[in-house]
Amino acid sequence: MRRKQLASWGVNLFLTLGSLIALFPIYMAVLNSFKSDGEMFRSFIALPESISFANYIEAFTRLDMLSSSLNSATVSMLGILGILLCASLAGYKLSRTPGRLSGFLFLLFIASMLVPFHSIMIPLTRMAKALHASGSIYGLSFIYIGLGVNMAVFLYHGFVKSIPRELEEAAYIDGCGELKMYVKVIFPLLLPITVTIAILDFLWIWNDFLLPLIMITDTSQYTLILSTNVLFGEYNKEWSLILASLVLTAIPVLIIYAFFQRYIMEGITEGAVKG
Amino acid sequence: MVQKGYRKYVSLLAFVAPAFILYALFLLIPTINGLYYSLTNWNGLNPSYQFVGLDNFIELFTEDPYFLDSIWFTLKYVVCMVIFQNVIALLIAVLIESRTKSKGLFRTLFFMPNMLSLIISAFMWTFIFTQVFPQLAERTVLTFLGQAWIGDPKFSFLAILIVSLWNGVGYMMIIYLAGLQGVPQHLKEAAVIDGANIYQQFWHVTLPMITHAITICLFLTLNGAFKVYEVVYGLTGGGPGRSTQVITMNIFEEAFSNNYRYGYASAKSVILFLIVLVFTVIQLRLTKRKEIES
Repeated sequence: MRRKQLASWGVNLFLTLGSLIALFPIYMAVLNSFKSDGEMFRSFIALPESISFANYIEAFTRLDMLSSSLNSATVSMLGILGILLCASLAGYKLSRTPGRLSGFLFLLFIASMLVPFHSIMIPLTRMAKALHASGSIYGLSFIYIGLGVNMAVFLYHGFVKSIPRELEEAAYIDGCGELKMYVKVIFPLLLPITVTIAILDFLWIWNDFLLPLIMITDTSQYTLILSTNVLFGEYNKEWSLILASLVLTAIPVLIIYAFFQRYIMEGITEGAVKG
Repeated sequence: MVQKGYRKYVSLLAFVAPAFILYALFLLIPTINGLYYSLTNWNGLNPSYQFVGLDNFIELFTEDPYFLDSIWFTLKYVVCMVIFQNVIALLIAVLIESRTKSKGLFRTLFFMPNMLSLIISAFMWTFIFTQVFPQLAERTVLTFLGQAWIGDPKFSFLAILIVSLWNGVGYMMIIYLAGLQGVPQHLKEAAVIDGANIYQQFWHVTLPMITHAITICLFLTLNGAFKVYEVVYGLTGGGPGRSTQVITMNIFEEAFSNNYRYGYASAKSVILFLIVLVFTVIQLRLTKRKEIES
């Protein structure tokens, strides 16, 4: 029994050390974002002498982080709403319609999940220019819908299978039209998977770097990650500001994680097991 | 409920149209266009371009050492990621699964880095590598931390791996945890009664029962590792020189920062797509076969 207890202690120690490593960079970034550059170089590890939000205030005033935060939020919101609307319509109908055409369309959606983004980014910039979708966050949202529906259609398609058809048949007999049925009967039932998709897509769009990088050139349209990138690329790195903007970018994501952890983990295993 | 004839198609198309149109515009057509551009000498600025057949593909394999270097470097990265990401994630998952009270807490902590985007992770770690570690090496006993993590190609490869693993392990851990929960308790108990020790239990009971999770994780790691971009961009930018340039970065440079040779860069992205496809198909074949056996 003694040996077993010892082993259990060892496992606890290992896991604790491991999670400290996992937390260390985040902790360092948050801690030092409250210090001035000078205080930082005296010691990175020490607690800040006083909690000062000077770096954050400067990030907001000098770097216009407010507008890039709003841009990030707008793109994420529009992208998610568009994906949820388009994909739930398509996923529901494809799942309920037997036949070759619907099978082919579904296959087309899921096969595209294998295409690497880097393989389409060049033709995509040209397409976006032709459609006047590049250069603004609104165009960017539409591109996100186009790139994100395949995964969402796949998840909705699988979820709809678990909904009994009797409900729709009953509504149909009561004289319910198709669109009304979707709005009143189907969509409410899709809520669990809708939440999962919304969260996964939020994490994707909010955290995405490459697409905004190639689409957005005007600084007024920058997303939070693009602003951080510009700041980071400057020759004379002002770490105090960089850390503040890193933390600002990370906060919404960590809040979502705190509240919806269960959905995120379920979404991952769900997507993985079915794929 | 069963609709007849054309009405069925009309309603199918009406429901699918919004998703399909955006999907076609921004994903399907660009995919097809990319294949076509790879056979042309389009340079992005010039409106006219010619069909050049396979010239681009011949050039990139015979006259483009930087591209071949980036393929080798990426392969090296992929091999390391496939091994370490899965071994570490599985180890952590097994250990967490053996806990009772602290299970949830450890799962939350280990998964947290995965919430941050790769580019933010890379920026954060650049701060750690270039500022915090040198100070720690100077003032404490942890002198091994004082390396040129970003400047020396040998260490920058290690740095890229560390950040990728730090960010990615949690994701795989979640999938392994789900797999481990599916291992029936009575099998483990039967093995214990038969006198199996912990390692035998793991090799002969647990591992065969989670081959499906292993297949998925290998697939995801392979698929993701070939497309690595943000971590390298954020940490080294491909440098020093081109010593840490990955395939995606080479494509990006060709298309957007150097010479705008869109046709040639498209040929490179077709190669990337094919590499990913071939490796994942082989991997799925191999591991699926194992799954059926067990």
